[in-house]
Amino acid sequence: MSSVPDFATLQTLVIATLFEVVEQSNKPVPDAVEGSTSLVGKQAVLDSLALVTLIVELEQRLEEEYDVMLTLADDRAMSQKHSPFRTVASLTHYIAELISEEMGRD
Amino acid sequence: MSIAWLLERMQQWPERNAIVWHDQAYTYGTLVERVQAWADELDRHDVGPGLVVTLEGDYSPNAVSLLLALIARDTIVVPLTRSVEAHRDEFIAIAEVQVVISFDDEDGWHLERRALQVSNPLTRNLIDSGHPGLVLFSSGSTGKSKAALHNFTPLLAKFQLPRHSRTTLTFLLLDHIGGINTLFYTLANGGTVVAVPSRDPEVVCRTIAAHRVQTLPTSPTFLNLLLISEAYERHDLSSLDLITYGTEVMPASTLERLHAIFPKVQLLQTYGLSELGILRSKSRDSGSLWVKVGGEGFETKIVDHVLWIRAQSAMLGYLNAPSPFDAEGWMNTQDVVEVDGDYLRILGRHTEIINVGGQKVYPAEVESVLLQMPNVRDVAVLGEANPITGQIVTARFNLFEPEELGAFKRRVRAFCKDRLASFKVPVKITLTEDDQHSARFKKMRKG
Repeated sequence: MSSVPDFATLQTLVIATLFEVVEQSNKPVPDAVEGSTSLVGKQAVLDSLALVTLIVELEQRLEEEYDVMLTLADDRAMSQKHSPFRTVASLTHYIAELISEEMGRD
Repeated sequence: MSIAWLLERMQQWPERNAIVWHDQAYTYGTLVERVQAWADELDRHDVGPGLVVTLEGDYSPNAVSLLLALIARDTIVVPLTRSVEAHRDEFIAIAEVQVVISFDDEDGWHLERRALQVSNPLTRNLIDSGHPGLVLFSSGSTGKSKAALHNFTPLLAKFQLPRHSRTTLTFLLLDHIGGINTLFYTLANGGTVVAVPSRDPEVVCRTIAAHRVQTLPTSPTFLNLLLISEAYERHDLSSLDLITYGTEVMPASTLERLHAIFPKVQLLQTYGLSELGILRSKSRDSGSLWVKVGGEGFETKIVDHVLWIRAQSAMLGYLNAPSPFDAEGWMNTQDVVEVDGDYLRILGRHTEIINVGGQKVYPAEVESVLLQMPNVRDVAVLGEANPITGQIVTARFNLFEPEELGAFKRRVRAFCKDRLASFKVPVKITLTEDDQHSARFKKMRKG
């Protein structure tokens, strides 16, 4: 296993991927994206398809770059009291949590 | 005898070529003689009416004449080919085979008996009725192979009506309803069946040129490979005047390119199922995906956009699955269609439709767009479960030249932007080195 990415690194990855997904969809590209940027809901920069694309992209990139296979969208994610897909920061936290669980298993 | 009419007809043109196998022609006279020789041979080996017999072979003169001899003596024939070798023992067990006759590459043969009694009630009923039978296994591209048991007599009845005599390449083998259809259509009309040793586009084109083949019955997957190979530029295909395609949905982009490259060749969509036989069909024109299907002995109806068929030549049932027919004898084909007057357009298998947040995506439509991308050799589109949108569209590509995945994904999304609605654009994109079609040249959309 490669070195464990820290929170800042993960958030940079989420933001970079988000920008790319938005650029490739037909939605307007936001000026700035930060931890509090909403992923779903009224102010969201993504529609449901773009959100799904972001999640699948992140899964593939985490596997390529950190050799870690995660399922970000599953029943566990969907049944959380506060959805991990609310904001950039909550998604990053969720990824960090799953990664540390994966590492703990090795 | 259920094929007495066919054998009589074959005797009318003894000098004509019936089969070309390993580039050598065999006449109807030869074939009829061999059918007689087989009758004696089968007597010697005590292979009588009602036995279940596997014929393992190709379109060799010995195998084809054995097939005719087996039908003539009312046996139940189970044709098997090398393409299903991995399932051979399973298939032989399902069909309760009692005699195995296998052919080698020199058309020599070997007979083996298996001591067992037929217990399947469907097969027993057919044996009691005194008719010959045929067992065909579905390719199982979407699940487990099902064994369709046919009464051979109604299946052959439609060939009694005389039609054009043609030289036809046999793309599909004897273990496929399309291969059986080609063989009997050709023999019933004094045409020539031309066998190919492989389904490589180069070999197929060389064979068409060498034997002046007129009809090429094939599948969209093969036609894609043909277009990619450009093998048609290296051989004289001027004899070819009809290409038929079926067994899967034709991508619009493939048909368009094919029509541009072969403007004088008629392009005809065919429709058939191993459970029902092959229907007569008529494409609106060579560039059109709209097709009329039906003909003598077939009835069609559309229920909730799905095609249902009732056929006189329908199988008796599956040997290893519940009957797919309703009380009135209709079968749900699972093919979703659009309707325009008498014409249908086949959109895809009901089971392969991808449901993205309640919106339907047909894999063939997406594949048709993606196949137009530079550097794309092949692509299979399929659905994958996703808790947010129910399913997502995934696309698995074969490329000509290696490409960095990230850059390729960007290229795919940019290409799709103005060509597909956003819910149809593949969310997950992967690359593979493996071929994505079955031995029968049908696209495999397996996860």
